[in-house]
Amino acid sequence: MKSIDLITYVTFGYLACSVLYLIAQVSGSQTKTIKGWLLGALILVFALHTGAIGLRWIESYQMGIGHAPLSNLYESLVFFAWCIALALIIARFKFGMDLLVLLGLPLVTLVLASTSLMDPSIKPLIPALQSNWLIAHVITCFLGYAGFAVSFVAAILLLMARESDFFARHLPRRQTLDEIVYRSILAGFPMLTIGIITGAAWADYAWGSYWQWDPKETWSLITWLVYSAFLHARLTRGWTGRKTALLSIIGFGAVLFTYFGVNYLPGLHSYF
Amino acid sequence: MKGRVAGNSSSTEEKGSIISGIVAFFTSARTTIVLLFLLAAGSILGTIVPQTHEIGPVTSFSSRLIVILDLNNVYRSWWFSLLLVLLSFNLLGCLMERLPAIPGEWKGRSRRSTFSFKLADTRSPAKLMEILLPKLSGFMNREPERSGKGDEFVWIKDRIYLLGFPLIHIAIIVILLGGVIGLFFGYRGHVLIKEGSSAQQFSLNSGETKPLPFAISVSAFSLTRYPSGEPKEFRSDIKILENGEEVRSGSILVNHPLTYKGISLFQSDYRVVDVKEVRLTVTGQDSSKTDLLLRPQSSQQIPGTDYEARLLSLDPGTTQRGVGVDLAVNKKGEDPRSLRVYKKTGPVQLGEVQLGFADYTPLYATGLQVGYDPGTLVVWIGCGLLIIGFFLTLFTNFRRITVTFAKEETRTAIRVSCRSRSMRREFRKSVEEIIRETLQSRSAQTKMQ
Repeated sequence: MKSIDLITYVTFGYLACSVLYLIAQVSGSQTKTIKGWLLGALILVFALHTGAIGLRWIESYQMGIGHAPLSNLYESLVFFAWCIALALIIARFKFGMDLLVLLGLPLVTLVLASTSLMDPSIKPLIPALQSNWLIAHVITCFLGYAGFAVSFVAAILLLMARESDFFARHLPRRQTLDEIVYRSILAGFPMLTIGIITGAAWADYAWGSYWQWDPKETWSLITWLVYSAFLHARLTRGWTGRKTALLSIIGFGAVLFTYFGVNYLPGLHSYF
Repeated sequence: MKGRVAGNSSSTEEKGSIISGIVAFFTSARTTIVLLFLLAAGSILGTIVPQTHEIGPVTSFSSRLIVILDLNNVYRSWWFSLLLVLLSFNLLGCLMERLPAIPGEWKGRSRRSTFSFKLADTRSPAKLMEILLPKLSGFMNREPERSGKGDEFVWIKDRIYLLGFPLIHIAIIVILLGGVIGLFFGYRGHVLIKEGSSAQQFSLNSGETKPLPFAISVSAFSLTRYPSGEPKEFRSDIKILENGEEVRSGSILVNHPLTYKGISLFQSDYRVVDVKEVRLTVTGQDSSKTDLLLRPQSSQQIPGTDYEARLLSLDPGTTQRGVGVDLAVNKKGEDPRSLRVYKKTGPVQLGEVQLGFADYTPLYATGLQVGYDPGTLVVWIGCGLLIIGFFLTLFTNFRRITVTFAKEETRTAIRVSCRSRSMRREFRKSVEEIIRETLQSRSAQTKMQ
């Protein structure tokens, strides 16, 4: 089987998991064991996803142009989805909250489904990407993004719980949600910082300048500034609940724009 | 949670209130948050308004606004710089305010706690110390430190955590400092050098030319492609010359710069400036094929004829006609005439032979970025400090237990105050359990408050 087909199956796997999670959630009672099974299924799909990325890596070597599968939009989206799924699974075990998975999985499915619009062929690395910094830069950035995605999902849940009593009755305690909003950013922020630093180091090495105010660089800085404001507001001004949830949502908007929106602006990252 | 706001002073207050207002402004985390948002907003503006150095006619309100606020050059504008300066002072202010507390925390003198409780016991302090201290030492995996004040014992785990906050914030100041050094003492420019020639100066991004302390001589440029046609490698083979003598030689590739005397040279672009050689195929009457290699500024006998050919110009194939050459051909006793040989239109008859265009070797000029930035090292030091700071903040778990025994009339008061960065609930549970078990198992007079 080729990695591209495997990714298609993985996409439907995530879709099936989200639908089943939803059914388990609305059917109410006696769902503990079902959800346990579903978590197992999710981990299986995630393992397949991991395998597909590995397979693509191997395929590129078989083509004689071996490189890590992080070199174009298709590959980066597959990896982005992988990071979000990983963060969801970690958050599920850490906070024991199935709703997080329920709301996060459609995001994973959506990201993966969007890869069907991209050119999935394995291309040789263009000179600008032939660097060992590529892997460190992409992995740290995306792990950061994944943390922010989990925070975003929790922030949405928190706002829903605040806005309506109906939701509040069916959602976890607000303090728990608030804690997830904060902790996921606390985990993602250093990752984004290291991602920006490795990007700067790479830029310095490749283009002779660690910072050139290229739109992608600038937007990653904007994202960094927003989350940094979040952390200061929460740690020193005691912001919680609605205010920090809104900041988390704004921050994730900046993440998405850094990732997708900037591609429509000219710049050094035009191949991503 | 209302914080202090700058400029809040009324006339009835002392004169010092203005100064204290300024101090409050620069030591407030609220200022930090506002500055972070303003910087984010400014950065967004910079990605929306095109950042160019050319300014068109200033007529409309929006173009006037662009000029006043430097919106075409946001990141170097006066207000963006001001925001960064304010942020630096704010960082310094916050550091100055918080640093003095750190030595106290380090030595365990701080009273800051995540939880604390008091107990009373009828036994003597000495007796209580004897049974309680070993248990807590076992739990914290270390011996207690005794502070000067009476019977106070302190256990501290991972105290290096305390350095995380100052490191992160000093790091940001260091990075900004590195940026300023680069801004004042560094430069960037570009130089285009033809294969086989050398350059001793380059043009700065502002347009001025600047001499180099050495000469760059380009021996060759090559562009290799993958079978699919995508570029695989751009390579410039260069020599560095000082006073005409070669001091260094090497290749510059994308992602592989060359640095000499602190000045780095990067592969940036290339141009086809001329032609090195054109290869034509000469087909004789007997269908025999011979190659004819033409170089600029030299004439060549066309095999099988008594014609001489000279290269006039090469059309690199940017138009509809495709790639081809203009030649000047002549034989003795005849005026020279020009001949066009294009790949698309096929071979051209000349006397008894046919001339066809085969291919050509271009003469490249390689575009190199020239960069010098003494601030880079400072920036990397800052980044290193930042990463260490994050590591200390996230992956160490600062924990402190302070226990004080005080003799009161008939009983001993035990005060327990603890601080923990994470896993607070679990920490509290463990500490309470240890103390309860140690004391209650022997006497019922201890009670939790």
